[in-house]
Amino acid sequence: MALNTDYVVRETGTNLFRNFGLTIASIITVMIALVLVGVSVLIRTGLDQATAQWQGGIELIIFMEPNIQPAQRQALQQSLEKNPEVKRYQYVSKKEAFDDFKRLFKNQPEMIDAVNADILPTSYKVVPVNPDIASIKAMRELYQDRAGVYQVVSADDTIRTMQSLFGFLSVMCFVVAFAGMAAAIVLIFNTIRMAMFARRREIEVMKLVGASNWFIRIPFMLEGLIQGLVGSALAVGSIYLFNSLLGNRLEKRGIELLADFVVPTGDLTSLSVLLVIGGVAVAMICSAVAASFYLDV
Amino acid sequence: MIKFENVTKVYKGDVVALKDANCDIQKGEFVFLVGTTGSGKSTMIRLLNKQIEPQAGRIFVAGKDIGELSSWKVPYLRRNMGCVFQDFKLLSNKTVYENVAFALEVIGRPKHVVKTQVPAILELVGLASKQGNYPDELSGGEQQRVSIARAFVNRPLILLADEPTGNLDQATSVGIMRLLDRINRTGTTVVMATHSRDIVNTMRRRVIELDRGSIVRDQQRGVYE
Repeated sequence: MALNTDYVVRETGTNLFRNFGLTIASIITVMIALVLVGVSVLIRTGLDQATAQWQGGIELIIFMEPNIQPAQRQALQQSLEKNPEVKRYQYVSKKEAFDDFKRLFKNQPEMIDAVNADILPTSYKVVPVNPDIASIKAMRELYQDRAGVYQVVSADDTIRTMQSLFGFLSVMCFVVAFAGMAAAIVLIFNTIRMAMFARRREIEVMKLVGASNWFIRIPFMLEGLIQGLVGSALAVGSIYLFNSLLGNRLEKRGIELLADFVVPTGDLTSLSVLLVIGGVAVAMICSAVAASFYLDV
Repeated sequence: MIKFENVTKVYKGDVVALKDANCDIQKGEFVFLVGTTGSGKSTMIRLLNKQIEPQAGRIFVAGKDIGELSSWKVPYLRRNMGCVFQDFKLLSNKTVYENVAFALEVIGRPKHVVKTQVPAILELVGLASKQGNYPDELSGGEQQRVSIARAFVNRPLILLADEPTGNLDQATSVGIMRLLDRINRTGTTVVMATHSRDIVNTMRRRVIELDRGSIVRDQQRGVYE
């Protein structure tokens, strides 16, 4: 089918401007929904970054002296093995420690350059049976003074609170984003329906003179596509802005723990691409379905 | 060119619009469908361009059973069938030229074809001087001429006309009939549903009379009765 570009551009433009209010409403709804999806993902990523050491129920890390004797380490491991309070434990070698370090400081390459595997301590990551504060404190004291142990650190309350708070926030964002996306779908559907209703006489004539269904549908699908595209572009812009504002603010106040919440640009780019693809796909499928649905006017 | 084979169409609520209809229309014929309102004239026309489907029987157009046509091929069937209606179905926001050009644009005809075909057809229907006017600036007869121009601009094999003079006075109707006759003389098969006794009796063409969905008369060079 030869497609007349002039025709398609003209019709799509007319449709977009005929229902200008609805078009804007659809675009804004798409944008809000995608911003919420994006923020939800960013909170997750940030939280994972900020609490990378404390995942999978790890509450205690026992760092050993660099010059710990094999016998001492053996004894420590046996003690962990026998301790009924310990649910699981994991030995972290120098190499693994360096891998962890590289992951934790991936935003600060100068830190990674300054460190090599040799100077990092080996450690045991411990998952206790009871993650309550009292038993963790007791375990910490138990291992602190053992021979060959350099230091025992535990995930403190701040981290736990942060994990649960931001986890909740991220889930909430996602729920609201879901509702927003549903609203966007309904709005786009309705916009296309209105556009088709406004043009029902033209569609009737088009069908009578033998325009193919695809030919009739394409301007409406493009209308949906443009709404999705503009909405998701605005969403991506907002997320970049949000991320850099957050970065500036945290830097100014010197809040180090939260600084990890600023997501590196690489992650942001892939997120943006996904958001745009998602937004456009949803809008286009939705308008195609609507256009087919209402083609029998 | 057109063949109805035992065609039956029943609308919702058991309204029988067409009952076991048979007829055979040759290429280049001019056929009047006559009968009272509700006798099945419009149903025959709507069956021909597949706006509706029959419950039984087969309809052939140019030798092909259109009941077996897949839905994506229906537009191609319609490109070979111009349609003219009592209410013109012109687009009020487009000029005469644009209304006719629209029919070519939406079937993907290239611009240079549109630019040569549209003025030629407007000349044929006698509206060359009004191509920049909007439909509501034209008389009923002129509007129907635009509608005929739009139906014929793609040079279809068949022209279907559903009471094209239904809204027009007699003098204007004569002009429209002359135009349809001229189109018929180019070899286009014309099927026209009408209530107008005068037109049928003057033209003396083939007449198919319908009564409550049945073909009761099929007469060469017939009259209205």
